[in-house]
Amino acid sequence: MGQLISIDPVTRIEGHLRIDVEIENGVVKDAWSSGTMFRGIEMLLKGKHPWDAQQVTERICGVCPLVHGTAASYNLDDAMGVELPDNARLIRNLCLGANFIQSHILHFYHLAALDYVDVTAVAKYTGNDPALNALKAKIVGLVKANDVYPFLPRYESGDYVSDPELATVLVSHYVQALEMRKKAQEMLSIFYGRMPSFVGTIPGGVTTPPTVSNIAAFRSRLEELRAWIDSVYVQDILTVAQVSAYAPFLTLGDSGGNYLAYGGFDEDSQGKEKFLPRGVIFGNNVAQVGEMDEAKITESVKYSWYKDECEGLHPKEGKTEPDVHKEEAYSFLKAPRYDGKPMEVGPMARMLVLAGHELTGKRPEMLMGLVKKLGLGAALDACVKAGKFGILPRHAMRALECKLLADRMVEWLDQLKPGEKIWDSKGKDIPNESYGRGLVEGPRGALGHWIHIVGKKIENYQAIVPTTWNAAPRDKNGNRGPIETSLIGLPVPDPDNPINVVRAVRSFDPCLACAIHVIHPEHNGVKVFRVV
Amino acid sequence: MEKRGITRRQFLKYAGATAALLGLSESLIPEIARALEEAAAGKPPVIWLQGQNCTGCSISLLNSNYPMIAEVVLDKLSIRYHPTVMAAAGDVAMKAIEETAKEMAGKYILVVEGPVPTAEGGEFCTFGLEKETKAFHGYQRRKDKPMTAWMEELVPGAAAVVAVGNCASFGGIPAANAEVTGTKPVMDVVAGIAKDKPVINIGGCPAHPDWIIGTILDYLINKKVPELDQHKRPKKFFGMLIHENCERRAAFDAGLFLEDWNDYNPDMKLCLFKMGCKGPVTYADCPIRRWNSGVNWCVGANAPCHGCAEPAFYKDLSPLYKPLPNMHFPGLSTLPDNLGWIAAGATAVGIGAHYLYKQLGKKEEGGEK
Repeated sequence: MGQLISIDPVTRIEGHLRIDVEIENGVVKDAWSSGTMFRGIEMLLKGKHPWDAQQVTERICGVCPLVHGTAASYNLDDAMGVELPDNARLIRNLCLGANFIQSHILHFYHLAALDYVDVTAVAKYTGNDPALNALKAKIVGLVKANDVYPFLPRYESGDYVSDPELATVLVSHYVQALEMRKKAQEMLSIFYGRMPSFVGTIPGGVTTPPTVSNIAAFRSRLEELRAWIDSVYVQDILTVAQVSAYAPFLTLGDSGGNYLAYGGFDEDSQGKEKFLPRGVIFGNNVAQVGEMDEAKITESVKYSWYKDECEGLHPKEGKTEPDVHKEEAYSFLKAPRYDGKPMEVGPMARMLVLAGHELTGKRPEMLMGLVKKLGLGAALDACVKAGKFGILPRHAMRALECKLLADRMVEWLDQLKPGEKIWDSKGKDIPNESYGRGLVEGPRGALGHWIHIVGKKIENYQAIVPTTWNAAPRDKNGNRGPIETSLIGLPVPDPDNPINVVRAVRSFDPCLACAIHVIHPEHNGVKVFRVV
Repeated sequence: MEKRGITRRQFLKYAGATAALLGLSESLIPEIARALEEAAAGKPPVIWLQGQNCTGCSISLLNSNYPMIAEVVLDKLSIRYHPTVMAAAGDVAMKAIEETAKEMAGKYILVVEGPVPTAEGGEFCTFGLEKETKAFHGYQRRKDKPMTAWMEELVPGAAAVVAVGNCASFGGIPAANAEVTGTKPVMDVVAGIAKDKPVINIGGCPAHPDWIIGTILDYLINKKVPELDQHKRPKKFFGMLIHENCERRAAFDAGLFLEDWNDYNPDMKLCLFKMGCKGPVTYADCPIRRWNSGVNWCVGANAPCHGCAEPAFYKDLSPLYKPLPNMHFPGLSTLPDNLGWIAAGATAVGIGAHYLYKQLGKKEEGGEK
């Protein structure tokens, strides 16, 4: 038996996550992922006016409000039989896209990059660039004052990028990225009022009509972001991926090879055609994308702090009764499974499903064209051959998705028609009884919202959230969750500095506030149902 | 100062930004520059804890425009612990808190995002590890450390406690489940630990970045808690009623209400009152400050204000898209259809009282400037 290392808090993610790893001979042999904060938001919604759902559910998470609000809008549209006007569909795509851009930039630079770049190397910069020298002066100042928070302390490791020239450029991009992600938020607020906690979607459509001036304001920011994504974000990923010390991360950090995507960004008013397709992949067999069947989703609670009678149900019927004294449990997350299998969701899942569609001729080449253009073909082949997609592909897929989406957004913007409808007034006609469903893709993966309306009020509301899939604990058969599996085999030469463990965890971009959502049946009178 | 990479000129620039942020006279700029310079001689340490939060207020903070967030992090404050941005994790991160608490006792500002669950010994929100262990899958595994224990440790040595956002300030959305989780607003937890410790509540779901940074800088410059309203919110930011400063007030006065989102008249944008706008009961400076670098705000997006800066948000302001009841406004003889909807309950009394005062021409305590 090896040594148990506990990492709590795992920082630079959203929320409260604890990771325990068993180390033997300097390598991770086993792993446990624990969500350690519980709220119970959903009980708020029972008996409320259905329109409140999107304002409440977007507050499940301040990092992902956009995707919850969007899922809630589609869910309510469905319950009310809305015919979504094209302008509304396009504005929803544009705003969700803007949120993907801000989220992906934030993730790489502000959440992940400090795992790879040595900020203190900036002090050794010797070049002539005035902006980089100004940055150097700041960092030198911080080092001299012995106050380099929040960049130090950190896990120490011999393989940080420490070449002064390269490190300085990357750190300057960290600073630029703060402004870039902010611009993406501004872009979104043009139509949606503000971020976080936006107000611009409603059942039946959106609130802000497209005008010549707001389209122009959106476009100017989008073009600036597109140029930056192409010339900085995508290039930085390629640069970091080429650091020889990181070569093993091409395949290390594989989640087990099962992927799930609901599909996202409607290309027609019924949402039949999606910009990012839906599908499932098993065992890293990218060439074989299966149909996604929602009925195959169940949740296990054997290792979760909930009573055992909640075991094995479809989330829609799932019960959630907390039991913080349960002996073998170690997480507030349940363990969702598809056909009994743990599934990774998020940019890697979406891009592999898209690649599968392109490789089998179901879609024209888009992603694969980009992969070739950027010279990533050999790396992709190596992953396919090894049957493993690790930490680096997870970062790269996120950046490629960001680029594809930003490019497509220009076309959606061109399709907006000022003066035409933005709202179907059926959205305000609440049926006496109705069911709704909204399945979307968020930056972190597949998200579903479900509603049951009775007597024009919310009887039942639930959400199944991306990080619940990725950061799930073991299920009743002992299968590890995707993040847990991704840690097995990682080298941890120094137990006091388990940098590779947090590198792998962060590559999933976990969001724990979303992932832990629970209802309390005894207290709100809802017997079957949970979430959010 | 120069050795920190910040010049006198930069300090004057920051002072200008700070004066604008706090709505202070330009004549105060040199004085503010001095105070900031003094403060930055050892950058004021900040410990930012997250309880039952959603990180929305941290994301909002990152949207800061003036000063830019990079300046805040690099030049203004010493962010000793912030789970979303700090490089360190695990024990290394915990050490940063412990050392700050020891070396900077009495000097650090404790910022709390999200309220504190107190039931089950604090088990509903934990971060960091205790030294004690417990059996786990054949190992001895260190126990989780509850948020309540961190508060016990860190409140006594804090110069002041800043509760960021509606949840930390008033319990917010997580408090709806308080009977299970024992969720309490930060001010109640602080009162139980150190009765006289100053607490500032920054309302809003989320809090505006200017409200967060402005409040912290205000405290550092003036070395005292700013003037607060009855909910412990800085009057500077929460002293004005949205309805009285709304850019669509003219439409309200003319009785022009939005009833169909397809109606759009660029010359007279319609009032959102009938779609449930809570601007008439919400104190915040959104109409003039706006959001996301001044790009827009809720009403600007043709959507109602939901009252997210008020302690009553969300539960007591629901349904969000139904008009406020029992309102008598000058120039508006007919009232919205669902009269009497909120007639019972403390909030309604509060709302009613405010309007009564208004109509009598009296000034409500903690109301307008």
